[in-house]
Amino acid sequence: MRIIKNSDRAVDAAVRALKSGGLVIYPTETLYGIGVDATNPKAIKKLTKYKNRPFGKPYSIVVTDQKMAEEYVELNSVAKNVYREFLPGPLTVISKGKHKLAKGVESENGTLGIRIPDYKLVIETVRKLGKPITATSANASYKKRPYAIADILNNISNKQKMLIDLIIDAGDLPHNEPSTVIDTTLDDLVTLRQGEIILADKNDVLSRSEENTENLAKEIWQKYEIHSGKRAIIFALQGEMGTGKTIFTKGLARAMGITELVTSPTFTLENEYSTGREKLFHFDAWRFEKSEELRFLGFKDLIKDKSVVSIEWAEKVSDTIHEFDDEAVIIWVRIEFGKVDSERRITWGITQ
Amino acid sequence: MKILSIDTSCDETAAAVTEDTNILSNIVWSQASAHTKYGGIMPSLAKRMHEERIDWVIHKAVKNAELTIDHLDAIAVTVGPGLSIALGVGVDAARSLAINYDKKLIAVNHLEGHVLSPLANSKAPASDINFPSLGLVVSGGNTLLVKINKIGSYEIVAQTTDDALGEALDKAARMLGLGYPGGAILEKFARGGNLEAYRLPIPIVGQEERKIFTYSGLKTSFSRLVESEKPLTKEKIINLASCFQDVAFTHLIRITSFVILDSKFHFQSLLVGGGVSANLELRKRLRKLGKYTGINVLFPYSKKLTGDNAAMIGVAAYFKALRGEFIDVDKIDRKPSAKISD
Repeated sequence: MRIIKNSDRAVDAAVRALKSGGLVIYPTETLYGIGVDATNPKAIKKLTKYKNRPFGKPYSIVVTDQKMAEEYVELNSVAKNVYREFLPGPLTVISKGKHKLAKGVESENGTLGIRIPDYKLVIETVRKLGKPITATSANASYKKRPYAIADILNNISNKQKMLIDLIIDAGDLPHNEPSTVIDTTLDDLVTLRQGEIILADKNDVLSRSEENTENLAKEIWQKYEIHSGKRAIIFALQGEMGTGKTIFTKGLARAMGITELVTSPTFTLENEYSTGREKLFHFDAWRFEKSEELRFLGFKDLIKDKSVVSIEWAEKVSDTIHEFDDEAVIIWVRIEFGKVDSERRITWGITQ
Repeated sequence: MKILSIDTSCDETAAAVTEDTNILSNIVWSQASAHTKYGGIMPSLAKRMHEERIDWVIHKAVKNAELTIDHLDAIAVTVGPGLSIALGVGVDAARSLAINYDKKLIAVNHLEGHVLSPLANSKAPASDINFPSLGLVVSGGNTLLVKINKIGSYEIVAQTTDDALGEALDKAARMLGLGYPGGAILEKFARGGNLEAYRLPIPIVGQEERKIFTYSGLKTSFSRLVESEKPLTKEKIINLASCFQDVAFTHLIRITSFVILDSKFHFQSLLVGGGVSANLELRKRLRKLGKYTGINVLFPYSKKLTGDNAAMIGVAAYFKALRGEFIDVDKIDRKPSAKISD
């Protein structure tokens, strides 16, 4: 593993490493990313090992421009509009892939995410390499967002470190959101991850699986984690039975570093989990008759202690939650059934 | 050994007197009726009702056992898992009895009580059970398979990753408009339904080696099915209830069967406890499983021992007393998220 500063010579070093199948950590306008040659199957396997995630979860790729993108994906008119409007920039656009990359890059149903970062070093590297590289964040799954090299190295094992060939260090990056992810392969344009670029008038994301929902909870947590320890953070979850409110809380717990099994609190009304450093209080208001009941379970103290709280069926106790609008960061999350059984539409907004 | 036991882990205020594994009295005062009046639960009310009833329930348990507190050898109480504010009422009562009457105090895990509930008033002595055995707890708050190395030593083998079985049945009942908690009503409706009427997915079918219980996916499929079948007729409700209960039990049986057959231990007994173990259809299927796998299946002798009660706490406390596991009055505290393997 070699660490170099971001300079003109960094491009050549990166290209050399990528050509020999290496893993390169590079800065972008969002987070630090990790790249390998997306046409090299061995390099993709190595990356999957580094990310510590199951094979079959796809990777987006970096290309230099729309022309290069069209070598790997079919762009429909919706996609072309989006490219014109937003790229280069912090946006990942999913289109139908042309199956020209190593196995495991495209999704199981053959779609592929394309990213054209607004960051010279990365564009130059890909241009010189002549092949696309993977665009995935440089942290391992469910670990801290990588805004600095230390964020990465402090959260991975020695084994993972051994897999890295080159790190291009551009210092602390501004804390921008990860790229917005949109899917252009469906009838209407849907957002799969919400970053700086907002296409709808609110935060509105489509989840295709329980894992997606957990992942979204992680994204939202990482966005508001900055308040942790300074103010209480409340996730007020709304949604019919079976939409996945407990699943959302599982993702939240995992992102916080909680390893205990998170289960439905319907019966016990309240569960408590701990990372050792932080605590998560998980409520279920479904069986509550009156909003004040939340207060009776010590809600006020939890706010005072600046705790992290997740409340299922928040609509039933919304009066009581709103009383703490000034003191706490409150994230209202609504989960609705989508068109297909496994799909959920998730929208959220905050009062703070 | 005569023990007075107290359990206030959730909706029931319970006290019992046991002598070894025999029940001398078993008083359960349920708040369920009070809560259903409001259509839900009110923690403030729950705590107040526990406080109002606890002395009466204890007094009645001692009286029905035809004893006075002086005759007792120890006081036992559930410290968890359960609703924190409710547990506190029982723990406080037990502590002051132990101090006032100078009795030894025993802290009991509610789930251990459920696991050992088949031993209460059992004709066969506990020494007849060979270990390791398997314990299954199926209730509104838990769905859990534990390896019982010996009485007092447990390892979790499988547990629910989302909803408990009892909770899933209660929620299904609610979707069918049968009220909450409605698992027991669902059982009645489920009798005689047509199991072929609907097809619901069996959770993680074919992946039993994961050794987990999960009811959230089934709950979601069911909620969509119920929506699509509206307006509901009585016939539809009966068929929906049957199909849901059938699939929920099939999942439980498949995982339990996998654990029994997969294990390198030859479990000789399966001890079943918890509210859902009162369900006759489930009992039938577990007995059938027992026959098929050559395992002896034991249930609590009476329905009263399946739901939350204090007699099962007394049974667990008796074995703790034999091992000398008493706790200081200054040290006892509620443990809302206690694990059986702690």
